Amino acid sequence: MTLTSNSVFHKIIRSTATIASPRRWLVRALLRAASVIVCVVTAVFFLIRLVPGDPVKMILGEYATAAAIEKMQHKLGLDLTPWEQFLRFLNNLLVHGDTGSSIVYEASSRQLIFDRIPVTLLLIAMACILSIVISMVLAILAATHKNGILDHLIRILPAVTLGMPVFWVGLLLILIFSVHLGWFPVGGVTGKGFEKTLYSLTLPAITVAFSQIPSLVRSLRAQMLEVLESDFVVTLKAAGIPRRVVLVKHVLRNSALPALMLLGVNMAYMMGGTLVVEKAFGLRGIGSLLFQSISNRDFPVIQGIAFYSALFVVIVGLLVEIIAGVLDPRTKGES
Amino acid sequence: MANRSRQQKKSVLVISLFLILVLALAGCSTSKPDASASGSPSQSEPASTEGASTQPAAGGTFTYARAASVTSFDLHNQITANNAFAIDKVFEPLVAFDNEGKLVDWLAASHEISSDGLTYTFVLRDGLKFSNGTDVTAQDAVFSLQRHLDVGGPLAISAKVDSLTAQDNKTLVIKLQTPYTPFITELSNFSNGILPKDFGGKTEEEFFKNPIGTGPFVVKSWDPAGDLTFEKNTHYWQQGKPYLDELVYKLVNDDSQAINQLKAGEVDAIETVALQNASELKQGSDTTVATNGSWVTEQLFLNTLDEHFSDVHVRRALALSIDREGLTNAVTFGLAKAATSLLPPAIPYNANDTVKSLTFNTEEAKAELAKSKFPNGFSTTLLIASGNSSRAQEAQIIQAAGKAIGIDIKIESVELAAFRERFFKYNFSAMINSGQADSPEANSILAFQTDPDGFSKSYWTHYTNDEVTKLLREGQQTPDGDGRAQIYTKLQQILADEVPYIPLFYPEILIGVRSNVQGLVVLPNNSVRFQDVQLKGE
Amino acid sequence: MRRIWTAMRNTPSLLAGTLMLVLMVGVALLAPLISSFSPTEPNMGAILLPPSSEHWLGTDQLGRDLFTRLIYAARTDLKIMVLAQIIPFCTGILLGMMAGYYGKWVNTLITLLTDTFIAFPFYLIVIIVAFVSGAGEKGIYITFMLVGWIVYARVVKGLSASYRSQEWIASAQTLGLPNRTILLRHLLPNVLPQAVIVLMTDMAVLLVAIVTLGYLGIGIAPPTPDWGTMISEGQPFLATKWWLSATPGLAVVYTGIALSLVGDGLADVWRRK
Repeated sequence: MTLTSNSVFHKIIRSTATIASPRRWLVRALLRAASVIVCVVTAVFFLIRLVPGDPVKMILGEYATAAAIEKMQHKLGLDLTPWEQFLRFLNNLLVHGDTGSSIVYEASSRQLIFDRIPVTLLLIAMACILSIVISMVLAILAATHKNGILDHLIRILPAVTLGMPVFWVGLLLILIFSVHLGWFPVGGVTGKGFEKTLYSLTLPAITVAFSQIPSLVRSLRAQMLEVLESDFVVTLKAAGIPRRVVLVKHVLRNSALPALMLLGVNMAYMMGGTLVVEKAFGLRGIGSLLFQSISNRDFPVIQGIAFYSALFVVIVGLLVEIIAGVLDPRTKGES
Repeated sequence: MANRSRQQKKSVLVISLFLILVLALAGCSTSKPDASASGSPSQSEPASTEGASTQPAAGGTFTYARAASVTSFDLHNQITANNAFAIDKVFEPLVAFDNEGKLVDWLAASHEISSDGLTYTFVLRDGLKFSNGTDVTAQDAVFSLQRHLDVGGPLAISAKVDSLTAQDNKTLVIKLQTPYTPFITELSNFSNGILPKDFGGKTEEEFFKNPIGTGPFVVKSWDPAGDLTFEKNTHYWQQGKPYLDELVYKLVNDDSQAINQLKAGEVDAIETVALQNASELKQGSDTTVATNGSWVTEQLFLNTLDEHFSDVHVRRALALSIDREGLTNAVTFGLAKAATSLLPPAIPYNANDTVKSLTFNTEEAKAELAKSKFPNGFSTTLLIASGNSSRAQEAQIIQAAGKAIGIDIKIESVELAAFRERFFKYNFSAMINSGQADSPEANSILAFQTDPDGFSKSYWTHYTNDEVTKLLREGQQTPDGDGRAQIYTKLQQILADEVPYIPLFYPEILIGVRSNVQGLVVLPNNSVRFQDVQLKGE
Repeated sequence: MRRIWTAMRNTPSLLAGTLMLVLMVGVALLAPLISSFSPTEPNMGAILLPPSSEHWLGTDQLGRDLFTRLIYAARTDLKIMVLAQIIPFCTGILLGMMAGYYGKWVNTLITLLTDTFIAFPFYLIVIIVAFVSGAGEKGIYITFMLVGWIVYARVVKGLSASYRSQEWIASAQTLGLPNRTILLRHLLPNVLPQAVIVLMTDMAVLLVAIVTLGYLGIGIAPPTPDWGTMISEGQPFLATKWWLSATPGLAVVYTGIALSLVGDGLADVWRRK
């Protein structure tokens, strides 16, 4: 779901990031963001109620009596019509900023989500940094050794990784680096403190990065070649400026933007896709909470996760547009 | 152009090289764990070194990986394993079963049942204290059982209780309206645990957030969506126990994660081991598998309201067509016994060796089907819960068996919650599921699976047979002994002949454990006793 | 035909990718001729056999020949991979063209729809659909009908928007051609190549998604052979019989490489034009 052909991608980014009048743009962007969130929240609310299965039976199990089930349903307000439930939910969200109390855990769903958000965000952040660093190195190597063996190897990367499921990569890494070599914990976040957390998240972050790097390298390499062959760089070289300086200061800087934006857009997918990585590595993040909550039909938690992750995606989207508008001189305001 | 295509040829070559590399990688990386299993134990084990740092005798933290978190301690309102096996660490009943499934006095020093089966007298142990240091009295027991009667709940007391009285501080007398033999065994359910009278002066809600009982452990910290940490109950009535300082229930809801964490020593035991993984753990030098019979019967349930399965000949034909021994072997790797009758061997009055069951015979199956309303076969569906590969395999074997006699079975695999929803509404033709006893009492499974008036309606098969119902009721009132045995033998023979469900096998309870763990007691209901556990240094 | 052949000859990656795909499709189609074993019939007498001359890749837990299952699984997975793309491919292109060509409120509406789906946690949709429709093929079709179009819509929208400002569109408009004609006759041929290139990558992505569903326990229902279920069924035996889950995994990687080569090759061919 995440890969689009890059040249096209850049066109899209350029065509969407248009800043004519900043204030008008901001109002529009915020309006758009708000309507996206409203759509997501509404859709999720009604969709999850289409799914067969009853949270009460998930709590009480197969041996629960009908009377016990009814009592619990009433207590949880699940005997109301979906519309009444929806109004209640909206009221809760707008007035108290809360997404309701978890059915299974009998705790505030917001609290549950906020407890788990740090792991997921940290994972995404680490994966992003790793992806950027590794992609840059690979792209520089590829671009400077154009058509050499190295370049070919690096260009093959996307083709090979395209067919590798994330959980497969994760499982392999666990077997090699955790079970066999014992370098990293098998799963979960072990130990307290930021350092330990980072250490525990290393393998999962590599796994996520693994799925991001190919498209980033592709984009960066193409972009760098373009810049490398541009008159501007040729002039710099002719002026006798050292190769390394040209490469890092001018080429990289000028070609990094599209890749960064690609990453920005992919972060939306990462937010929804960490589920698989979290499951494979036994992490307690938003993804695993989502999976559990769907299995348990814990409606308030699902709604909460949908709300907050939509919020996250929308904010990242706005930032990407702003960065694109501010940084990219090629982006000219049209409408 | 030519130059370009040469380059591309190169990249094709590189791709093939890469493929070989990946193959090799897959090969070596996956064969490695084999080596580690037979080779040297790994050195760095953060979780277990903490435990092992103290001497073997006492202390340490034991980490137990479980697939679902503990969400509530309200013993009267809970039934699912994730909560039950945490509740039973905090609350204990008057009587309990030992690791062989035999009933023993627990909080009671002794108990007596009057000859008419109506009066039960329990005398509490001396010096029994709750984890907060207060004495346990008969009044506490009265309060606990009374609340259970009031709440009802999913594991309600099914005996007709006439009165609960505290004769003195130590003596509890329970009077029944009618004799009900299973009562004493049912009292061993975790839901009949003893808690302080009036919740020790707290509100219900407060109390169950910070429960106080007589069990070996006390809740120290608890995240209902994550881990639970118990600490030792210093007032525990079993002198000097538990040996452990802390017990951690760690939520690990992925099978391969759990296995790998056990192998790497990040946890000391795991609650669920898939049958396929058992041999690997057994062979590992650091790990082993603890088993202990079971009270579970894996079954193929047939909806007797279904067009086809309402015909007893159809049900018999299907039963005859299935090679239960072969199925058991293929699916369980010898970790289960093929079933011929409903009650697992660990439950009293089981008749697995005596019942005449419909043994695998394709010719007889065809002949039986010929006697039915559908002599030329028919099409039907088999409902299973997705994500359980053993069930999926059983289903495929049953599918092939049906095909051999002309029954075309389509497998329908739906997610667990939807699966429950379907069979609660009798919306299935056949399904694979398991029946489980909560206590070592024949009635526990039988009532659930044969009582057409119970809410489960013979485990949603809607099977109704007046003779069976009569025997069930007789069994409940007949005192233990030969008379009761005869009743249950007869009952099980009828079930084997009319097959509203086809017992497939009795799966072993499997708990994955590190080799340095001693004294872990696995109970046949899949719970574990930790009070005797010691961690041996490595 | 000749043109295709020339294109192939000049673009080795296209040739290689196509050959890889043809080989796989051929094996899938000829599966009954290649293997005499049944892909679904359990054989209790031959459980978990190691590879031998009779069973090239050994047998699985139900005694079925693994190689046979592998090639029959290609039928299942390749079929789903192609069929599940048809509707999203068409709707995506259509919506993308409309958004790009008409702009204004059409664009706003379609963009809102796209953004909503992007902000919607992907696996929430996947799981909800799988739960509603039951595990299996049907769920996969529905899921990709719902979310698959976004990739195409985004690509095509950008392209269409950039074409809109070009002269030939303006002249077609002044000639009084109806919008529908401009869209389908003139714009479509111009955006199609790019969409096809994306299609190649996205088919591989779909295949990986199917496999991942198998991992999450909501994949293709038994006994239909499928690489995803085979991988997860083989997982417990990774330490002892790694080929059980490695070979279907490699089949997925192989298909991914083939599709990726074809995609790159097509991009080359069209770029040269």
